[in-house]
Amino acid sequence: MSETKNNLVTTIQPAPMTLDAVRQELKSVKGKRYWRSVDELANTPEFQAAVEKEFPGSAQEWVDPVSRRGFMKLMGASMALAGLAGCTRQPDEPIYPYIKAPEDLILGKPMYFATAHPFVTGAVPLLVKTDQFRPIKIDGNPEHPYNQGSSDPFTQATLLDLYDPDRSQHVTFRGENREWAEFAQEFRQKVASTKDGTGIYFLSETITSPTLARQWKAVQAAYPKATLVQYDPAIAGTVLEAGDLPVYELAEADVIVSLDADFLSGAGFPGFHKLVREYADRRKSPDKLNRLYSIESTPTTTGLKAEHRLGLRASEIPAFAAELAKAVGVAGIEPPAYAWTDEQKKFLAALAKDLKAHAGKSVVIPGLYQDTSVAGLALAINSALGNVGKTLMVSQDAVNPLPFDQFAELKALVADMNAGKVDWLVILNANPIYNAPADLEFAAAFEKAKMTAHLGSHLDETGQNAQWHIPAAHFLESWSDARAYDGTVSIVQPLIDPLYGGKTSHHILQALLDEPGLSPYDAVRQTWKATSYWQVDVKGDFETNWRKSLHAGWVEGTKFVTVSKPPTDASFKGKVPTLSAKDSLEIIFRPDPNVYDGRWSNVGWLQELPKPVTNLSWDNAALVSGATLTKYGLEEDDIVELTVAGRKVNAPVIVAPGHPDNSVTVHLGYGRSFAGRVGSGAGFNAYLIRTSDAPFYATGTMKKVEGKWGVAVTKSHIQDHRPKLFGGQGNGNNSLEADEAISERGIIRYATLAEYKADPGFANEGETHTTTDKSNSLFPNWEYKDNAWGMSIDMNSCTGCNACIVSCYAENNIAVVGKQQVRIGRNMQWLRIDTYFEGDLAAPRAYFQPMACQHCENAPCEQVCPVGATVHTPEGLNAMVYNRCVGTRYCSNNCPYKVRRFNFLLYSDYETESLKLLRNPDVSVRSRGVMEKCSYCVQRISAAKIEADKENRAVRDGEIVTACQQACPASAITFGNINDKQSRVAKLQADERSYQVLADLNTRPRTKYVAAVLNPNSELEATPVEHAPAKG
Amino acid sequence: MATGGLKEDEATRDRRIDAATGEYRVIAPGQTFRSVTEKITRIVLTPDTPLGWFALFGVGGALATMLMVALTWLFLIGTGIWGITQPAAWGFAIINFVWWIGIGHAGTLISAILLLFKQSWRNSINRFAEAMTIFAVVCAGLFPLIHLGRPWLGYWLLPYPSTMDVWPQFRSPLMWDVFAVSTYAIISVVFWYIGMVPDFGTMRDRAESKIAQYFYGLCSLGWRGSVRHWMRYETASLLLAGLATPLVLSVHTVISFDFAVAVLPGWHTTIFPPYFVAGAIYSGFAMVLTLAIPLRKFYHLEALVTERHIDNMGKVMLATGFIVAYGYGMEIFMAWYSASHWEAFMMWNRMFGPMGWAYLVLVTCNLAIPLTTLWSRKLRTSIGYMFFISIVVNTGMWFERFVIVVTSLYRDFLPSSWGTYRATKWDYMTYVGTLGLFMFLFLLFVRFLPMIPMSEIRTMLPGAKITAKTRAEAGD
Repeated sequence: MSETKNNLVTTIQPAPMTLDAVRQELKSVKGKRYWRSVDELANTPEFQAAVEKEFPGSAQEWVDPVSRRGFMKLMGASMALAGLAGCTRQPDEPIYPYIKAPEDLILGKPMYFATAHPFVTGAVPLLVKTDQFRPIKIDGNPEHPYNQGSSDPFTQATLLDLYDPDRSQHVTFRGENREWAEFAQEFRQKVASTKDGTGIYFLSETITSPTLARQWKAVQAAYPKATLVQYDPAIAGTVLEAGDLPVYELAEADVIVSLDADFLSGAGFPGFHKLVREYADRRKSPDKLNRLYSIESTPTTTGLKAEHRLGLRASEIPAFAAELAKAVGVAGIEPPAYAWTDEQKKFLAALAKDLKAHAGKSVVIPGLYQDTSVAGLALAINSALGNVGKTLMVSQDAVNPLPFDQFAELKALVADMNAGKVDWLVILNANPIYNAPADLEFAAAFEKAKMTAHLGSHLDETGQNAQWHIPAAHFLESWSDARAYDGTVSIVQPLIDPLYGGKTSHHILQALLDEPGLSPYDAVRQTWKATSYWQVDVKGDFETNWRKSLHAGWVEGTKFVTVSKPPTDASFKGKVPTLSAKDSLEIIFRPDPNVYDGRWSNVGWLQELPKPVTNLSWDNAALVSGATLTKYGLEEDDIVELTVAGRKVNAPVIVAPGHPDNSVTVHLGYGRSFAGRVGSGAGFNAYLIRTSDAPFYATGTMKKVEGKWGVAVTKSHIQDHRPKLFGGQGNGNNSLEADEAISERGIIRYATLAEYKADPGFANEGETHTTTDKSNSLFPNWEYKDNAWGMSIDMNSCTGCNACIVSCYAENNIAVVGKQQVRIGRNMQWLRIDTYFEGDLAAPRAYFQPMACQHCENAPCEQVCPVGATVHTPEGLNAMVYNRCVGTRYCSNNCPYKVRRFNFLLYSDYETESLKLLRNPDVSVRSRGVMEKCSYCVQRISAAKIEADKENRAVRDGEIVTACQQACPASAITFGNINDKQSRVAKLQADERSYQVLADLNTRPRTKYVAAVLNPNSELEATPVEHAPAKG
Repeated sequence: MATGGLKEDEATRDRRIDAATGEYRVIAPGQTFRSVTEKITRIVLTPDTPLGWFALFGVGGALATMLMVALTWLFLIGTGIWGITQPAAWGFAIINFVWWIGIGHAGTLISAILLLFKQSWRNSINRFAEAMTIFAVVCAGLFPLIHLGRPWLGYWLLPYPSTMDVWPQFRSPLMWDVFAVSTYAIISVVFWYIGMVPDFGTMRDRAESKIAQYFYGLCSLGWRGSVRHWMRYETASLLLAGLATPLVLSVHTVISFDFAVAVLPGWHTTIFPPYFVAGAIYSGFAMVLTLAIPLRKFYHLEALVTERHIDNMGKVMLATGFIVAYGYGMEIFMAWYSASHWEAFMMWNRMFGPMGWAYLVLVTCNLAIPLTTLWSRKLRTSIGYMFFISIVVNTGMWFERFVIVVTSLYRDFLPSSWGTYRATKWDYMTYVGTLGLFMFLFLLFVRFLPMIPMSEIRTMLPGAKITAKTRAEAGD
């Protein structure tokens, strides 16, 4: 025994490797290039034996069929050994708990801090929950006027990004560990030696921080020839790079027209939180319904939610916008001649008529990823209709403090690199080697820069090639500032010390200034001390205001000054681009709804999250219409080769219902080689065919290549080929699922406004739609004396943005299972958004139904569990006792809503140290063989009840907010005590539009849905299919 | 007049009637006490085990080993190695469980119900049919345990006095299963053993090696064949038969509750109990045939397990097969008559959905082939054909359970959750492994225990009959 022990310690010989050998070894490594020691790099048998001895359990994992997971665990464990031990594991020496606890820390009591997520489309003000100073939940700042507590999938997922075990952890120079000070000194000296900054280049992500902009201006003053280039692949070329966006006020808009603007599906659209809130507010009561028209080139939740949707090829949209401008009476527009179909003409006429009828109470929103003429035309239309100052505000301020023409600047940088003019290139949180336009050949040019440095959270594609690498701090680790869509400034305050000593762009720019050591904290304070923002509006001294701002989460009086008058010259001056040939194939590029431009590739929550519309997870795909699929002789999941201007990429193809024909949508952000253990290798890299002259859509070709990709789509979508006899449509044009859900099953119930007015009780009429009598169960009914928790979900408001799901991930420690497991249907989300496509799949309307445990009062699951692991609480919760569960899965089979999730394998990661910090301490981490499901956030209920008990009172309405409810930008989810008839949820549940899904099964669900009421334009087709229940 | 036909009938009948007793012949003529005892004990008490036995034992052992491999991996990794998923959270394990339990039913029916009904033809086949029951229950009993997510906590399903004061949840049909299957296993084993006691006595007396003498001596519980012993033996047999008879009906009824109690369309059906019991007997008799036909051939037992047995089993299958057919018909009828959309869709999906092929296999194997041909005595007494039919019905009954479990689950109430089910290699290894385990155990039984009850066969010999005729001849 002792001999083997000795072996372990003593026989690991120093690996006899020369520097060349090390480089050689590194070159051959695919995937991440972490290595802890030369031993590991050399991968000697001794080292492997040592690892195996250290983690004997991990050794066998290699043969696990779920290899990605096994790999992740083993890597996590081996990294934890070396890299993270210091910050999370207890030291070997005896330690004692706090004798004097930090003043404001009560163990087990969370604390909340206001901060902001600085995002390129506008900062998202946050309130972050910390437990013992670890951030464990991110949510919107409920007091902030912009988002009022709501958030979005990106913002929610930045939490996991903070604890990503693959974040880079050391300053390195050519692969060797260095110190930050060494870099700072060398950089400062080099820049100083140039005198005027010649040959010094910065390539940054879009700068959103006023302080950073101020610092850059200071650098520029000191070194006038230093050059800053900003590049964000999702921003470049859009109106956002200039940043002068109108602020839309949808509260006043009766008619909303989206010209390829996806403003309802995610934070990729500026102002998402506010726009969804205002849109949804008007959907809550049938008395004040707005009407949404959407003209779009790729199906999005915005379009599928719209009353009227017109799918057009991307190149047709500017022309259509011009036609619309002409039709509403914008002067001087000459739309290009085009053979519009009758259907399109009818749509245009009806839309123009409706807009004119709602002049001053309508708004036209242009999309980001369109020709700039669309934005110009939209403004012209809005001006012509008198909407400016009413439904949209124009401001002189820009959300972006340093507007740039990003593509042009980047091109100039590449030219300079190729010309050998670049001595130092410092990359600030950008990843151009991965995401620069393909025509610029950035990687080749990068080699020609004499010295390169990369500040980034990960050792990504650019980090791998840069000579210096500096780990970047996460926004929850560092001071900064940012402006929200409405201009309000938030101070980004850190909640935790940098886990890996990360630095920020502030540090790097400050290193060149007079006080190189000035911390970002002081820099931010300097900014706001010096400027006039709050000194104008707020009296009082700086310190007080500073504290107030940190506490509240925003700086008072920093909203954009909006001009309520139309800009003096709103007439359209641009040029409407000519249309591409009708039968040419258009390839549309969009940032991914989950991983955006690729920055969140390594966030498991977002990778596994089913994308809106397609329900695709873990991959991107070439999205086409059914007709195009047939035209090219393809089947779903086939691999196609997409070619744009001679550049090729292979992609899986799937159908997106409602996609225009002869057009393909590809999402950016996938196909990364150095994203980390989660994101590397997922999907294909669409940047390979994206060029700077056609960044949003290009004409290209598509052809089938051999093989199947193996995409993971979480929802079946089957065409309804049933003959009429069996309740089908007989033609295969419709979705079988939706036909079932909307007709007899009564899962989706809706009415048009006219139908609703004629019959307000429509949702609870008809055979399967009636709620059962309480007396028809063999078992005695439960009695709920005090509280009876219930939920109401407004089907008219939900836009299917997925924020709730990611919030649920974070709150409830839900495991990520990996693509192979998702493929066979084992994803663990407690909450899902069921999407049903109504009508012809070529032009559908969709219904988004958030579906989680319904907490039935007569729950089928409770009766069949042989060990009583799922039980009814006195307050009507359907509780899951993990410790008692033996895993028969009978409950899942008997659950009509199929909301239960089973740990078929050991899905929870028990090993990775950094992920332990992430967990919500109030929720168990579930092990293998255990069933789990939505608990109505029982931990939050308990916390509120404890507070109420202490104060000897009942829980107040609104005191308990579930994680999904908290995240929802549409406020579609309401939770509370239905025994309290005054509570909001009780009132909503009493609404005559409220219905229970599958009520005829006598399950008596506690979650009720408020049936949608649509407000279609009677001149256009009202509703695609029969949706009224059989009158019984 | 068609007297010719009548005469022919009489002639056939004559051939089947034992001239000595005037009763239908069960075993071939010309058997004596000695020949029967010789024949049966020689199989066991021979030092020369046939090579074929070793070959088959090897196959069974190898497959059983594969089962052990599959189970080891299962316990190490989790049920996720199987194809079960959402929404089809039950798969092969439950299908196999129901299939095996069903197979067991024929043994109990033969040993208990046919005993009570004095169907003496059962005597030749009841021993190995009972053995089949027990080994089938062993295989079946494995599945509910291993299909648990956390099998090491399987004992929580038992109502033991836990210090935490936690009891199982008695409303759950899975809970009822625990009682049904464990009762069934206990009664079957006891009944089987009691039935063997007189034979153990014979074996003890005829054994030559010391080990065998001790072994059978211990097993025979001091059996001396006294009248008192026989009297008690007969009483015990009758009592146990009385206990086992309701089990034939109750066990599969309870198993069917696993489905019938659930809300799922395709499961939520009141016809399930009788239809499951009939199906169980149907498949059980098929399995008895699958075993009996090679056995009688291999060990030259044609004289004891005669065409008459095969024929009778064919008749039982025909009858139970029609009950099963009625069950299928009723499901379809109710899908329409109930006017319930859930039922109608389920039935449409079962027949024409993506897994419609399974329903087609089921209808072909359980109805189309057997129920059209088993009417013919010629086919019923054709050994080769009956072996074929037995395999067909076993396959069909496996698919019946597949159809019930999977096609009901994979497309249920919320269309958003529809999925599919695809078994993995571990599923197949586990299933085939239990077939191997069954074979392994059954071969051990054949080798070491009297597979045909000598004592009961002897009672059927003319010499044992005290009829009016013999009495008259004896001059009583």
